[in-house]
Amino acid sequence: MRVLVTGASSLLGSTVARQLAERGDAVSCFQRRPSNTGCVDVLGDIRDAQGLRRAAQGNEAIIHLAALVAPRPAWSDAYAINVGGTAHVLDASVECGRLVYISTPSVAFENVASVGEEAEEARYTGRDAYARSKALAETLVLERMSVPTMILRPHLVWGPGDTQLVGRILERAEQGRLVLPDHGRALLDTTYVDDAASAIVAGLDRTGDAPEICGRPFVVTGNDPRPLAELVQGILTAAGRTQAFRSLPAPLVSFIGRGVGRLWPNDEPPLTLFAARQLSLSHWFDQRETHAALRWKPQVNVDEGFERLRSWFERQDKKTLR
Amino acid sequence: MGGATPLSPSAGELLAWGLDPSWSRRVRLPGADGRPVDWHVLDTGAGTHGTIVCVHGNPTWGYLWRDLLETLSPAWRVIAVDQTGMGYSERGRPRVLAERIEELVTFCRQEVKGPLILAAHDWGGPVAIGAAGSLEIDAVILGNTAVAKPVDVKVPPLIAAARSAADLTCRRSPLFVDGTARMTHKEHRAALRAPYRTADRRAAVRDFVLDIPVKAQDHSYDALGVCADVLGKLRCPILLLWGGNDPVFHDRFLRDLTRRAPHADVQRFHDAGHLVMLDAPVGAVVSDWLQVNASSRASPEPESTFRSVLAGVLERSSDQGAVYIGPEGTLRWSELADRSAVAADVLRTDGCTKGDRVSLLIPPSPELLVAACAVWRCGGVPVVADASAGIRTLRRLVRANAPRYVIGTRATLSVARLLRFAPGARRASFGAMPGTLNLARQSGTGSKEVVVLGSFDTAAIVHTSGATGPAKAVRYTHGQLAAQREATTRMFSPDAGDAFTTSFGAFMLLAPLLEMACVRPDFDIDKPSTLGFEQLSAATNRAHVTTAWLSPASAKAVIASAQGRTVAIPLVMLAGAPVSTSILHEIGVITGGDIRTPYGMTECLPVTDGRRGETNGSLGGTGVGSPLPGCEVRISALGLTGQGFVEAQEWGEILLAAPWLFDGYEHAVDVDVHSTVVIDSQRFHRTGDVGYLEGGRLYVLGRSVHVIDGAEGPLASVAIEEPVAAALNRDVAAVGIGPHGTQVVCLVLSGEGPLRLAPPDLRDRARKAAGVSLAAVLEGALPTDRRHESKIDRIELGSSVNAYLAGR
Repeated sequence: MRVLVTGASSLLGSTVARQLAERGDAVSCFQRRPSNTGCVDVLGDIRDAQGLRRAAQGNEAIIHLAALVAPRPAWSDAYAINVGGTAHVLDASVECGRLVYISTPSVAFENVASVGEEAEEARYTGRDAYARSKALAETLVLERMSVPTMILRPHLVWGPGDTQLVGRILERAEQGRLVLPDHGRALLDTTYVDDAASAIVAGLDRTGDAPEICGRPFVVTGNDPRPLAELVQGILTAAGRTQAFRSLPAPLVSFIGRGVGRLWPNDEPPLTLFAARQLSLSHWFDQRETHAALRWKPQVNVDEGFERLRSWFERQDKKTLR
Repeated sequence: MGGATPLSPSAGELLAWGLDPSWSRRVRLPGADGRPVDWHVLDTGAGTHGTIVCVHGNPTWGYLWRDLLETLSPAWRVIAVDQTGMGYSERGRPRVLAERIEELVTFCRQEVKGPLILAAHDWGGPVAIGAAGSLEIDAVILGNTAVAKPVDVKVPPLIAAARSAADLTCRRSPLFVDGTARMTHKEHRAALRAPYRTADRRAAVRDFVLDIPVKAQDHSYDALGVCADVLGKLRCPILLLWGGNDPVFHDRFLRDLTRRAPHADVQRFHDAGHLVMLDAPVGAVVSDWLQVNASSRASPEPESTFRSVLAGVLERSSDQGAVYIGPEGTLRWSELADRSAVAADVLRTDGCTKGDRVSLLIPPSPELLVAACAVWRCGGVPVVADASAGIRTLRRLVRANAPRYVIGTRATLSVARLLRFAPGARRASFGAMPGTLNLARQSGTGSKEVVVLGSFDTAAIVHTSGATGPAKAVRYTHGQLAAQREATTRMFSPDAGDAFTTSFGAFMLLAPLLEMACVRPDFDIDKPSTLGFEQLSAATNRAHVTTAWLSPASAKAVIASAQGRTVAIPLVMLAGAPVSTSILHEIGVITGGDIRTPYGMTECLPVTDGRRGETNGSLGGTGVGSPLPGCEVRISALGLTGQGFVEAQEWGEILLAAPWLFDGYEHAVDVDVHSTVVIDSQRFHRTGDVGYLEGGRLYVLGRSVHVIDGAEGPLASVAIEEPVAAALNRDVAAVGIGPHGTQVVCLVLSGEGPLRLAPPDLRDRARKAAGVSLAAVLEGALPTDRRHESKIDRIELGSSVNAYLAGR
């Protein structure tokens, strides 16, 4: 199959492109920077409708991963990339025939803990520009999709080379600013990048043979929830660090998040209210429907993920030494 | 207007009310006045088992029986009639009670072939019971109703108000109809009001209210008297479905009914109101009840060999040996016989008769035994309370049992009176106390008169502690107690002169049953951990103690205070909750005795006999030995409540049958309605425990409510805990959090203080030892129950863990 992957320079995007290429699909990647996936790169900006349409030509499916992920993006950027970009993908998909749209569970986050829930409807009520723009984009997909469309919401994707979860934890640790709300007790579902990618590949296949499950969001996780503290410790250990974190009461973390999130000079504040709340409330999901719909199950549990992360760090260190 | 026949409800209306339109039909039958009347009925048509004819009260109609109609067909044909002048039946011909009875009899004779069951509610009750006097019926099912106004009760104020201006409240205005419809959930109101929209259609509602007899001059006074008489003579099974929240027919009416029909089963729905048939899942209850009552009850010993506990006591009336030795004094068998005769005389003179419930609010003492025997002498039923369940639960249970007498001490009677445990009950105590019967009256030695007790007569009601679910009142017959004695004594064949000691308050009542002396150690009966080595060894010095029944908390306390000392007890039974091997070992060292861990519960005791660690089951869990002869154990698949019995593949809920299995729950309060299941016409008790049978031995895996319902299938908490507890050498509890079907496992290691995440090294060792994937490993104090101080309350723990990890 000929597939266009948008946003393949990200960890998840490049993993998806590689998995597709490995099984023999003809993959082309659309993003601003080279993807280093070994696939055909079509460089361009998702805000450029014409460029995207040209890249999509001749493909049978689009997997749309390109998005602006930042702690506090400017609304105009978030809207142009996440909502506008998705609108362009929807237009381009008409000629391709299939679409896999990657959303996020944050679209349904409303300051309450999720304890084994299924995917809920997207809301625009969040204060966070990223979550709001992704909610808008998902709703746009639901309203305007004209080809079989799979909507997947992978939760907290991590793995070797991940700049989001792993990268931020290590960065904070280096700065000595690793603070977790309430001893990091919140139970969080995460998704190892290989699993998130294989779920997307499974979703692509299912758009072909199960149109009845299209047009309905599915949360995708590794189905192995752990307390935040355990995740952070595991990642630090995998990176060869033996550092402890500090704990602050969750309301205090939220308070700091609110202030820092507003006043920080650039669009990457170390903490926002949204992030503070997400890290102090549990997020784990009922995966039974997802597994049945995608005919897919995660293969990498959290401990196996730590192990893979550890050996990757070891290889990185050796490279650096050489 | 006479004979005006309203139209039947339309198919659309019936569908909107959740009724099948094909059920609605009309029946013509000869009326009591010789002219034909036209009835509307809801009739589900052919049933394989028989027919249930349902009679509504005032001012409702056949809709009231919606749940029964729906649930019981097609096993049963259910016919809900609309009485003359009511519902959609013919209007305009006033009826008195006798005429209504006559017409119901005519209807049943004309319409029903084969087995017949009558169901009735409110003022349909007297009509149905009156009809039962002239029909052959197989069972009676009654909702909140009355056949007589109890002498100590005023006319219900709502009825009195309705009567005083009956035409205005009941016919000209919809006040009475509306008031009744408002007693239940909104969804039923439209259907209840529909047949009574205009004043014309409400004439019978008024006439019905006016026909309620309250004084001897009233027209139907005698007819109601006949109904009360008929109820007293009914020998068929009776089920009372009682809404506990009914301002009209409150619990004192229930007590009046159970006095007249002591063999009636009562299912009390604590929160249901007057229209209990609409408020509660009555269909499921009736279905279960019919299943049990349509089949033979597990019959105990044949009558000829039956001997009641009381007979055993009377036989030893000249025995100078002790039956009870406690810190308050010693009771000899002869004293037990004499003092109970005196107390029985007092009770009998006051009117205590066969079947009367007598609540015993007496801590374990000689008086407790005397009181129980005195009640048996009158044919009454002692209700043994368990104070450790807490005062609120105690009050709820005593109230629901609606005892006719309360026997207590000065302190307990004051509390019972202050908190209105048993409104209207006579109070009695051993000693002079104003306003109470004195059971220790010194005049005379008491007549030797005793009521002859049969094996099917109710013998006792025992409250469960509520340690593993809602507290319940468990009813035993004399036959079941006799079977229990045989099963228990077979376990340790006591010799004459042998005595036992125990940390369980209720077990002290077993002394006359086992015909062994009971030595009560000097400790706080509600705190088993206060029974230490000193207390145990002091108790054994007071008599020839050969057996000790200890709770795990007491066993731990004994170990903690022994300090190398020993006390010889040939047989120690550790019961109440699973105990660790190290406790068994240490108790063995201290007593030098045979240590056993029998399995059983208030509803069925004992079930198995065995020693822990004798064998290990392939799925883990506590090995409790082999089922005793006569006791049958089945393992039922989980999650199939109400669907009958399906044999479990590997492990499942433990079901029990035995001649000494309890008779039923008395005035079941918030009890799971599916506690009984019939397999091959034998009555089995759902224990709520899970486990499996292997090589003829039973292994217990904990409580079914503690089963973790994960996405990959159910997991027994005990099977997860055991290897971790062994590896870490500390108590642990596994709980499931999240919605059923997708729960994840969290493990809590016992420790001081509030819940917190376990330190990484402990966490990793726990993960390694557990055979399953764990979401979180925590550390903190494990909540335990009050009675045994050892059963971990995993439900409470689960909700704390859930809240903690959710960030709440």
